[in-house]
Amino acid sequence: MNGLTVFARKEAQEILRTWRRWVLPGILLFFALTGPVLAKYTPQILEAFAGSQLGDLNIPTPTYLDAYAQWIKNLAQIATFALIIIYGGIVSAEVRSGTAVLVLTKPVSRSAFVVVKAAVNAAFVTVLLLVGTLVTWAVTAILFGSAPGAALWSSSLVWLVFAVLLVALMTLLSVMIGSAAGAAGAGLGFYVLISIASIWKPLASYSPAGLVTQATALAAGEPAAPWWPVAGSLALSVAFVVIAARLFRRKEL
Amino acid sequence: MSAAAIQTTALTKTYGTKRALDGVDLTVPEGSVFGFLGPNGAGKTTMLRLITGLARPTSGSVQVLGRDVATAGNAVRAELGFLPDVPGFYDWMTAEEFLRLAGALFGLGGARLDERVASLLELADLTDVRTPVGGFSRGMKQRLGVAQALVNAPRLLLLDEPTSALDPMGRKDLLDMIASLRGRTTVFFSTHILGDVERVCDAVAILDQGRVVVQAPIDELKTTYGARKVLVDVTEQADALAAEIGRRPWASAVERDPNGSMSVTVTDVAVAQHEIPAMVAALHTGLVRMDAGEMSLEEVFVELVGGERR
Repeated sequence: MNGLTVFARKEAQEILRTWRRWVLPGILLFFALTGPVLAKYTPQILEAFAGSQLGDLNIPTPTYLDAYAQWIKNLAQIATFALIIIYGGIVSAEVRSGTAVLVLTKPVSRSAFVVVKAAVNAAFVTVLLLVGTLVTWAVTAILFGSAPGAALWSSSLVWLVFAVLLVALMTLLSVMIGSAAGAAGAGLGFYVLISIASIWKPLASYSPAGLVTQATALAAGEPAAPWWPVAGSLALSVAFVVIAARLFRRKEL
Repeated sequence: MSAAAIQTTALTKTYGTKRALDGVDLTVPEGSVFGFLGPNGAGKTTMLRLITGLARPTSGSVQVLGRDVATAGNAVRAELGFLPDVPGFYDWMTAEEFLRLAGALFGLGGARLDERVASLLELADLTDVRTPVGGFSRGMKQRLGVAQALVNAPRLLLLDEPTSALDPMGRKDLLDMIASLRGRTTVFFSTHILGDVERVCDAVAILDQGRVVVQAPIDELKTTYGARKVLVDVTEQADALAAEIGRRPWASAVERDPNGSMSVTVTDVAVAQHEIPAMVAALHTGLVRMDAGEMSLEEVFVELVGGERR
C-alpha cells in the first residue's frame, strides 16, 4: 500500500469511528424515513390541526411524487446546511490539531492529503445518499403501493452532484480559511449566491446554480434538462479540489 | 570530513516585520547528535519547520541529506523522523494504531511493521495501554511522538523540545535512547535545557534572536570558553589578593566563594597565569591551587545570549 491508500483508509476509519458516523447518516435516515410518511398523511395532519378552518379547501390526495418531492426538499435545505457545516473543517481541523504536521512530514504529498480527503468524503456522501434514497423508495412503496423509481433516482442523483460540489467547495474553503466556522460561513454565502443566481433562467439552465431546481423538477415528475448543470458542477468540483491542492502545497503549516 | 545531514545557507525567515531566523548558516554532520540550543522564542521551532519543509524560507536555502527540501518532497521525507514540539494525534486511535499508520505511510507492512511497532511500543512504555490517544497524558503523548518519529528507522531524526513534557525518568530514558543512536542516525534536537545538550550531544549550535551565535563541537566550545576562567585558592589574604587581581586590566571579573577561593574571569589566560603567582608571592601567602576552570555549558550559554535579558 502506498501513502495515498494508507491515508485514504485512515480517513475512512475516521468517519466510521468518530461523530461523523452519526450526524450525516442520522439526518439523511431521519428524512428518508419521515419524508414519505409526512407526504402520505399531510391531508390528515392538516385536517387534525386546522379542522373546519380549511372550509371547502380541497387538498389533493398525495402521490408517491409528493414523497419524492419531500425527500429532495429536505436534501436541498437541511442536508445542504449540514454538509456545509460538517465540512467547514475538513482540512483545517487537521492543521489546527497538529495531525497534518505528523502526516505531511512522512511520504504523503500535500496534494494527496487534500485530494484523498475530498474523494473519501465525497464517496461517503454518495453511499449515504444511495442508502437514503433506497430507504425513501422502500417506505414510499409501502405507503403508496406503487413507487416508480425514475423520478426519485434521477432527482437524487442530480442532488448528489450538488453534494459532491459542496464537498469540493468546502475542501477549498477549508484550505483557504483556517477556522471551520469561517469556512462554513463562506460556504453558506456561496449557497445563498447560487440560490439567487438560479432565479435567472440562463444560469439555472446551464450552470451549477440550476442543480437544485432541476432536481426538484425531476422529483415532481416534470420535464428537466439537468445535463449542463451536472457537467458544469462536476467540472467545477474538480477545479475546486485542484485549486485547493495547489493552495495547500504553498501553505505554511 | 563526513557529509552534512543538514546544511543551511543564509537561511532567513520573516513573519511580517519580525525576523524569526536571520541569515543562519548551519552544518550538521551526518551521524552526529546535534543540540540546537536557544532560549524560548529564539527561532528553534521555525528552523525545524524549514528543515521539514512545513514552512518555506524567505531567503537562503536548506539542504537535507544532500537534497533541497523544497523540491525533493517524498524522497527526503522518507528518510526523516520528526517530533514536533506539541505532537498532534488522531484522538480516536490507540498508540498501536497510530504507530501502524505512521509505519504504513512509510511503506512498511507485514511482519516488519509488526516487529517495529511492538519494539517501539515497548520503548515508549505503551505496550499495555489500550485506551485511545485522546485520553493520554502529555508525557505519554510525547513518548508516542518519539516512537512514531523512529518508526522508519530514519537517517535523520528531528526532535523539537523532546524532553519538555517528560518526567525525570522519562527524560533520562529518552536521552539514553538518543545517545544510543549515535553513529547510526543523525539526531538534531532543539531544546532550552542545557543539561540535556551537555549530556548527549557531540556538537551544539546556540541560537539567539534568530541568529546562530556559535556552532562548535561541545568539547571545543567548553574548552574555548573554559580557558577564560581561572580558579585561585590561597591560604590567607584572599581579600587582598582579590582586590589586587581586580585592579589588573586582564581581569574582567572576580567572584569570591564563601570558602575563600575565587573565580577570575580573564581576557588573557597566559598573562593571568604568569602574574597571579607573582601577586601571591608578593602578599606572602600560600597558593593552595590555581587552574583554568572549565565553564559549564550553562555559563557559556548565558554569556553568549546575554544573561541580563532574563
